[in-house]
Amino acid sequence: MRINIKHILLAGLVAVSATSCDKDLDILPEQYLDESQALASDANVKKVLHGAYNALSSSYLLGGDAQLYSELLAADGEIRWVGTFSQPREIYGKNILTTNSYVRDTWLNAYNTINICNNVLGAIDKVATADQNRVKGEASFIRGLVYFELVEYFAKPYSAGGAGTDLGVPILLTGTTEISEESKVKRNTIEETYNQAISDLTAAESLLPVTNDVYATKTACAAILSRVYLQIGKYNEALQASNRAIGYNSKIVLTDTYEEAFNNSENSSEDIFAIQVNEQDGANDMQLFFSIPDYGGRDGDVEVTDKHLALYEDDDARLALFYEGSGAIRSGKWKLQYKNLPIIRLAEMYLTRAECNARLTSSIGDTPQNDLDKIRDRVGLTSIPATLDNIVKERKLELALEGQTIHDAKRMKKSVDGLPYDSNKLVFPIPQREMDANSNLIQNPGYGG
Amino acid sequence: MNRKLLGFILLSFVFSLQSFAQKAVRGKVSAADDGVALPGVSVTLKGTNKGTQTGPEGDFTIEVPENSTLIFRSIGFETKEIDVKGPILNVSLKSESKQLSEVVVIGFGTQKRADLTGNVAQVKGADIADVPVANFTQAIQGRASGVMVEGQSGKVGGGIKLRIRGAGSISASNEPLYVVDGIPINTDVNTSGGVTGNALSDLNFDDVESFDILKDASAAAIYGSRGANGVVIITTKKGKSGKTNFSLDMQYGDNKPTNHREFFNAEQYVNYFLAAAENGAKYYWNRQNDLALNDEYTSEQEVVDDWVSAMKGRLRRYSGYSDYTTLQTNTDWESLAYNDKAHNATINLSASGGNEKSKFYTSGSYVKQDGILIGNNLERYTGRINFDNQASKIVSFGFNLGLSGSKTRRVQEDNEFSTPMQIVALSPITPVRNQNGDLYDTPTTTYYNPLIDYEDGSYYSRAFRNLGNAYAKIDFAKNLFFRSEFGVDLLNLNDDQYYGRLTQTGKSINGYGENNYLKSFNYNTNNYFNYHALLGSKHDIEGTLGMSYQHSRTDQNYVIGQDFPVDDLKKLASAGTITGGSSSTSEYAFLSYFLRGNYKFNDKYLLSVSGRVDGSSRFGNNNRYGFFPAVAAGWIMSNENFLKNNTTLSFLKLKGSYGLTGNADGIGNFPQLGLYTGAKYAKVSDLAPYQLANPDLKWEKSAQVDVGLEYGFINNRIYGEVDYYNKKTTDLLYSVPVPGTSGFSSIYTNIGSMKNYGVEFTLNTQNLVGKFRWSTSFNASYNRNEITKLDGINTIIPGNDGRYLNSLIVGEPIGVFYGPKYAGADPQNGDALYYKNDGSLTNDYNEAGDFVVGNPNPKWIGGMTNTFSYKGFELSVLLQGVSGNKIMNGAGGFMSANADWFDNQTVDQLNSWKKPGDVTEVPEARWNWSGSIPNGLGASNRYISDGSYLRFKTVNLGYSLPKSVASKLHVDRVRLYFVGQNLFTITNYDGWDPEVNTDYRVTGTNANRNQGSDFYSAPQIKSFTFGINLGF
Repeated sequence: MRINIKHILLAGLVAVSATSCDKDLDILPEQYLDESQALASDANVKKVLHGAYNALSSSYLLGGDAQLYSELLAADGEIRWVGTFSQPREIYGKNILTTNSYVRDTWLNAYNTINICNNVLGAIDKVATADQNRVKGEASFIRGLVYFELVEYFAKPYSAGGAGTDLGVPILLTGTTEISEESKVKRNTIEETYNQAISDLTAAESLLPVTNDVYATKTACAAILSRVYLQIGKYNEALQASNRAIGYNSKIVLTDTYEEAFNNSENSSEDIFAIQVNEQDGANDMQLFFSIPDYGGRDGDVEVTDKHLALYEDDDARLALFYEGSGAIRSGKWKLQYKNLPIIRLAEMYLTRAECNARLTSSIGDTPQNDLDKIRDRVGLTSIPATLDNIVKERKLELALEGQTIHDAKRMKKSVDGLPYDSNKLVFPIPQREMDANSNLIQNPGYGG
Repeated sequence: MNRKLLGFILLSFVFSLQSFAQKAVRGKVSAADDGVALPGVSVTLKGTNKGTQTGPEGDFTIEVPENSTLIFRSIGFETKEIDVKGPILNVSLKSESKQLSEVVVIGFGTQKRADLTGNVAQVKGADIADVPVANFTQAIQGRASGVMVEGQSGKVGGGIKLRIRGAGSISASNEPLYVVDGIPINTDVNTSGGVTGNALSDLNFDDVESFDILKDASAAAIYGSRGANGVVIITTKKGKSGKTNFSLDMQYGDNKPTNHREFFNAEQYVNYFLAAAENGAKYYWNRQNDLALNDEYTSEQEVVDDWVSAMKGRLRRYSGYSDYTTLQTNTDWESLAYNDKAHNATINLSASGGNEKSKFYTSGSYVKQDGILIGNNLERYTGRINFDNQASKIVSFGFNLGLSGSKTRRVQEDNEFSTPMQIVALSPITPVRNQNGDLYDTPTTTYYNPLIDYEDGSYYSRAFRNLGNAYAKIDFAKNLFFRSEFGVDLLNLNDDQYYGRLTQTGKSINGYGENNYLKSFNYNTNNYFNYHALLGSKHDIEGTLGMSYQHSRTDQNYVIGQDFPVDDLKKLASAGTITGGSSSTSEYAFLSYFLRGNYKFNDKYLLSVSGRVDGSSRFGNNNRYGFFPAVAAGWIMSNENFLKNNTTLSFLKLKGSYGLTGNADGIGNFPQLGLYTGAKYAKVSDLAPYQLANPDLKWEKSAQVDVGLEYGFINNRIYGEVDYYNKKTTDLLYSVPVPGTSGFSSIYTNIGSMKNYGVEFTLNTQNLVGKFRWSTSFNASYNRNEITKLDGINTIIPGNDGRYLNSLIVGEPIGVFYGPKYAGADPQNGDALYYKNDGSLTNDYNEAGDFVVGNPNPKWIGGMTNTFSYKGFELSVLLQGVSGNKIMNGAGGFMSANADWFDNQTVDQLNSWKKPGDVTEVPEARWNWSGSIPNGLGASNRYISDGSYLRFKTVNLGYSLPKSVASKLHVDRVRLYFVGQNLFTITNYDGWDPEVNTDYRVTGTNANRNQGSDFYSAPQIKSFTFGINLGF
């Protein structure tokens, strides 16, 4: 065989066909969407909005950790953290390292959620006109709620008096498209942060419908607003907000029994807003840490002590909800796996209204006595006078281990675990990774800042 | 028939008659160097199969025709051809300087080592064939200079890190490119979500002729953007014409852990923890008083009573049915993590042969490796056919096809409670089983009992790998050929997991099943011309021009289910509820054009120039293509007149190279795009931001200078090389942390730079030749890595995550430990003390200063093989070591935590502070019941120790039966051998084994930074293996 035209052609063909693959370098991902399309249409913006709920439901945010932190910080001998994870343990011990990865991830997830909301609000003109109010309202609700959670943990308590000058958290109101020097934002004051939460929630309340499946509603906005106002001691506004939350939707009523308010796959009748959890999505870290392996929990990392149980009257149905498992007392609120995580319940609104009415000696909506009786009656307890102390105590028991304890302690200036309510140790550090990435941030006192 | 023709025939007849006249030739073969007689030298008649061997005195006798030529061959000596002149023939053989004539494989070609201007280390397949490991990277550890190999742990099927001349990148891949018979193979699939596997353990390295490791830029630049981390070229065996040779190798041995650690026994545990409860209570009381904190307690005794009683309650709970006060139970949990019947077994059968036209090599093998851990083993079958055919003078073609199927039983990552080694955290007072014979679980065990996963769970990975390529070559002229190759790397991985009703995963949901499937299809074509000619007598030129295209697509899916009718039905077909599932795809492509020219003048001056243009789908249109040139030159000084006749210095070559290579691996396939991903909430789908766009993203570039000197003395009996290199990587593909307030935590950016510089030494000596032979092969490499720029703003990106301190600091090596410096226990009160930035001491971890407290990168790595042979015996001993690195035990805060919590403690904790005046590294043992009084547990250099080690890596003692005996057994060759792997380790490391880097930290953007970390990582495997090798 000799070299002939055949061989040269063959070699040439291979070479030419091989060089024509330049266009094959244009490969696009099949399970990711280009950012330009994500906010380009009505349908897509709505999907991004739904993603904001998903982000909000992260275990590091309202998927349980934000609630857990509150209970661990305010443990006060009523619960013990006995788990091995060092991050919650540091929070329980009020000995938080700036490198605590839970604190870091709460920060990152909070701002991820805020950024999604900002993106949705920035693309609101892409949304069908008829739905614009609702979409805007939902994004504002989530953003306001997250700013509120952030300022509660990463800043000194409002009640400590320095809100106008002490640092809150950075406020960002537009979506991120690129990283530049301007991304290195400064912290706003506590006052500014609360104002942002209030303005978002107020706007949302006016824009949203009364019913909206499991998503944000007028009721949810008013309910969260009542918490915000209560936290900053604006009792009249809190009173009005809680009263509105009770009134918007007549279908929202207390469950027949206390037990029925928890471990539900569908929202209960008294859930104003709840994180949706099922086998495939949603997180419930309260269940993970409070429950035991028999029910899909971890190791029973949080134990309830006799000191807490001693606070209840014998006949209290809430006492009966506690159970014994894996060698300790456990909270029955967080027993079963893959159950919704209530964020705010109607019962709290009655207690907030009662507290504010008692403080202001008014009877807006109803008398404090009637509101208090409603709560006690359901759990099989007799009426007691609706004094401020009694209402506050009832609130503690009704909302026990649901993530309100440290916030209530701070607003009412109660010491916990021997620490004064405004102790630096009860405030989270700005995460070290954030301090490293943003030289414009100032660390909280007590953390080498 | 004319007369001329008749005359020719007659003449031929006479000649042929003559050639049939046989003559006996006798003689003696000795070594040229020292005159020692050489037994076992093969003596063959050229052009025939006829031959004999020299006897014990080097003597031989052979019948040969007139005017014939004899060939004398012996391992370690140059082959000699001698024309037979008379009846006596005494021959002296020169010891071989095989280094110079050795052929090394470079990209798209081969080169004689003497002509090489780049830096290429070669490990012969034959040198490691006996090593009883499944993954070849483990077998080449310590055998090549500048190549660092580190196993994550002793888990079978676990990851192994290979670094050529240090780490070049912060966020992109630091792994070299692996090329098998011309085809770049997929190695990064083992890090993709859900599916585990080590893509390199699919290769049966008994099939490998050589591993050629391209280290400098001029060698690697032909691989352009893939070459920045070096290239490992794996060439499989080819057949030779002649008799079909069969080779059968069988091995069997025992696997053991290299080390055990000592933890508290029951008595130590009980006493220590009771004391810790009292200490903790007192400390708590005093602290509350000092800080004027109100509390429920009214006296110190009250606190002590309360805490000690709580501790006793715990001890009762942890001792199950037994009584801790009488030390009824004393469980050695660590021993239960190990499989004490762990074996390894290998069978390998190969055949090779062929004729002038067609040659083949084929093999089949079976490997079984039991891990030292319970529930961890690997079985692998491989088969290979390599075929080459010379179709005509002009056209040749062939194919290499390797198939492999493996099944690995895996254990969980090191940070899972269910991984076997975390069993050491359980208390020695806890019995393994209750009185019904069931395994104890929490709350009786302090943590989840990993034995439950072993007994009631299963985790199998099955891999199927098809590595194949076909080529055709056209020889247009003597000097010019065209070669076209097409190769496919097809990988299937299937992970099957089931956790039954007793396991923590399956407990509350009646069993949990998960199946992950991955298919990766990677094809590649190389097409190139090669021209090689000698112009005149002095100009040797060679040129290569070609292109290649690679495309890889990976598809993955998984299904998760729960609620199984019985634990025997583990497949998802039986799941009551399917709770999760997904499918995903990823793709990338590279298009490349390359050119290389080599020029040699008068066997003295060498020049090599190469360039490659690479395009990648991973970059945006702005920066899609990159150009990677390199140049190298060499001067063979020993061929100059002034050295030519030097009898001592037999070889001397000075060489230097400079070139650019790139890196585009390990950054995902779409790092340049701004993306949203799908997600779901409340059973409704949604969109979530995934990453920010960077349309300017481009190649990471590495510029490397290499200067080397190769030398040979005394006829190259001493031969070696010294190289200095300096590799600077710029435009690092770096996942830069960004303010989290942006909604993102990092973005891939070309920013930052890093350098590696170092020196490599190799020295090969034949210390004794003759009957008793001793040779030494030594290599040592020094490497210094240094980050020269991060994001341009920060000079320190601290990495203290509570367990580890690996950080990124300008002016320091990647991943240095940066954080609090521990000052031991305060002699006054037993508090753990740390240095503040001003040098003063504090007992508050948050007030401690940050210091560079250790470097996880070894300064020196090296290996030395000594081979001794006498008659049929051969002993080779490989010593391997690293030096100058530190290791951090991330589990120190649990296992060496002075009884902070209930984890069983390492015995060194007994040395804790007990009374004022005690000077010790271990602070006072205080049970941290309140959670507020940790004593010295934060990540600091308290948990760092020296990781240097020197190890008897491989000891191989073999005996080959004399030919005479073998032939009686009707075989060509019988060799019996023993291989000891990791027999003995000299180290000061505190932990199990200094060759470690915990598996749970080596994925993600910080994988390169996270070095030198130990976390309940299993010690390496020590094995004792016997084998037999038959040739027939």
